[in-house]
Amino acid sequence: MPARKASHPQAMAPSAPGRTRTAPPVQPGSWQTSRRMKQYSRFGMTGWVYLLASISAIEMVYALGSGPEAYERMQGVFGHPLMVLFHAISLFSVGYVVVRFFGLFPKAQPARIGPLKPPPGPVIAATLYGAWIGITLVLSAILAGGIF
Amino acid sequence: MSQGHPLLKFEPLIWFLFGQGILVGSILITSWLLVVGILHPLGIVSPEALAYERAHMLASHPVGRLVLLGILALPVWKGAHHVRHFFIDRGHAERDSLIGRFCYLAAILLSVAALVSVVRL
Repeated sequence: MPARKASHPQAMAPSAPGRTRTAPPVQPGSWQTSRRMKQYSRFGMTGWVYLLASISAIEMVYALGSGPEAYERMQGVFGHPLMVLFHAISLFSVGYVVVRFFGLFPKAQPARIGPLKPPPGPVIAATLYGAWIGITLVLSAILAGGIF
Repeated sequence: MSQGHPLLKFEPLIWFLFGQGILVGSILITSWLLVVGILHPLGIVSPEALAYERAHMLASHPVGRLVLLGILALPVWKGAHHVRHFFIDRGHAERDSLIGRFCYLAAILLSVAALVSVVRL
C-alpha cells in the first residue's frame, strides 16, 4: 500500500483574503475582574491552601515519627492562633472545593459507561455528599477519641 | 507545547493524581483539619485523644498509615495542579512549561516526604 502523504495545512485556505476582514481579537482590560475570572482565580487559589495544609500535615506526622518531644513541639506550633486561623481557612477552602467539584461531577459524566447509563445527577451528588459527610464523621470521631 | 513535552506525556497520570486529590484527598483531609487543626488546639477535643501514645497507635496501624498517606499526599496533587492553572488563568500561559514542571516537581517531592513520614512511624 503506498504511503499517504499529509496534505498541506493551508490546502483548503482561499487563494486570496476575502473582502470582509474581522478585527484581531483584543483582550478587554477588565478581564481580570470579570465574574468568571474571579471564580477561576478563587478555585485556583485553593491550590495554594491545599499545598500549605499538606505541608503542615506532613510536618506533624514526621514529628510523630520522631518521638514524643518533637510531637509535643509540633502540637505547640499547631496551637498558635495563626495556625488555627490557617486551618480554619483551609477547612473553608476544602468545603468550597468540595461543593464546586460535587456540583460539576454529575455534569461531567459520559452519556454511557459501556452498556450502562450513569445514575441520575442527584443520585451521584447525594452519594458524593453522603461519602464526604460519613467519612468525615467517622474519621473525626476516631481522631477525637470517640471511637477506639 | 510540543507533542513530546513531558507534561503532555504524563498528562493521564497527572490528571489521575489530581482527580484522586480533589475527590479522595478532600474527603479525607476534612476531618484532619477539623480535629487536628482546629478542635484539638482550641481545647474542644480532649488532650488525651491526640496524646502521643494514642496518636502513634492510630497512625502506625496499617489502615491508619494508608489513610494518613491519603491525607498527606493526595491533596498535594490537587494543590499543584490548581496552582499551575491559577497561573494560566492569570495570563501566564506562555510560562506554563516552566510553572508546570515546578508544580509537579514540588508535588513529587512532597509525596515522597509524605511516604517517608508514614513509613518511619
